[in-house]
Amino acid sequence: MSGDEQLTLRSRLTELSRVPQWLEQVGSQHGIPADTQFSIDLCLEEVLANIILHGYAGNPDRTIVVRYRTLPKSFVFIVDDEAPPFNPLDGPQTTTATYDEMQVGGLGIHLLRQFAQSIEYESTPSGNRLSLGFAASD
Amino acid sequence: MQMTTEELAGGVTKVVLDGRLDVEGAQAIDLKMNVLAGSKPNMLIDMQKVSFLGSMGLRTIVTVARTIKNRGGKTALYAPDELVEKVLKTSGVDTYVPIHHDLQSAVASLSTT
Repeated sequence: MSGDEQLTLRSRLTELSRVPQWLEQVGSQHGIPADTQFSIDLCLEEVLANIILHGYAGNPDRTIVVRYRTLPKSFVFIVDDEAPPFNPLDGPQTTTATYDEMQVGGLGIHLLRQFAQSIEYESTPSGNRLSLGFAASD
Repeated sequence: MQMTTEELAGGVTKVVLDGRLDVEGAQAIDLKMNVLAGSKPNMLIDMQKVSFLGSMGLRTIVTVARTIKNRGGKTALYAPDELVEKVLKTSGVDTYVPIHHDLQSAVASLSTT
């Protein structure tokens, strides 16, 4: 097992720049197509920013762990935090609302629903787990 | 995220973005974009070199377009790559800030002369 199969982040927005670098490694290791890698990148950024800004409410010294699992026809990325119970899928959705009055808060969740093939939330003893599934090919 | 500007004919300012328009990229350009939005009549945002676009980047684009619209101007996007365009269309931002792939038609849609 490679040590790169898990990425541990501190709960600050500057940490997010480590994610695409890690994904590049994972993508080349497993031959993830560019468009799938873009979708994973997008979804992880939305999930992680949401945890940092809302789950941890700006506390910069908590941790978030991202892992992945390869399945025959898909990749699953699992995000664990230690924030209070919060299911982002319960939040309001912004779709093609009028942007003159745009509520950007729900837009990340909308993108998540559109770019991930599957999303599963579970409450864990220590916090929250979100599992994001992506097809291995088109 | 790098950002350069170029004044085109017809009161159009072209803003060329280069890099990832993610949380960090959006934070890097938000202030400069807002200053431009508060002073320039029309803006063409050149997306050719934008390799990633997330919801924070979408917010930057929408905020700029809304400011310019409130001042009576227009904003358009030029030549995003396929995946970035998919984000723009999935979010519906393309209905608020039109996407062009032809530079002349993009400039013509914004030009005030």
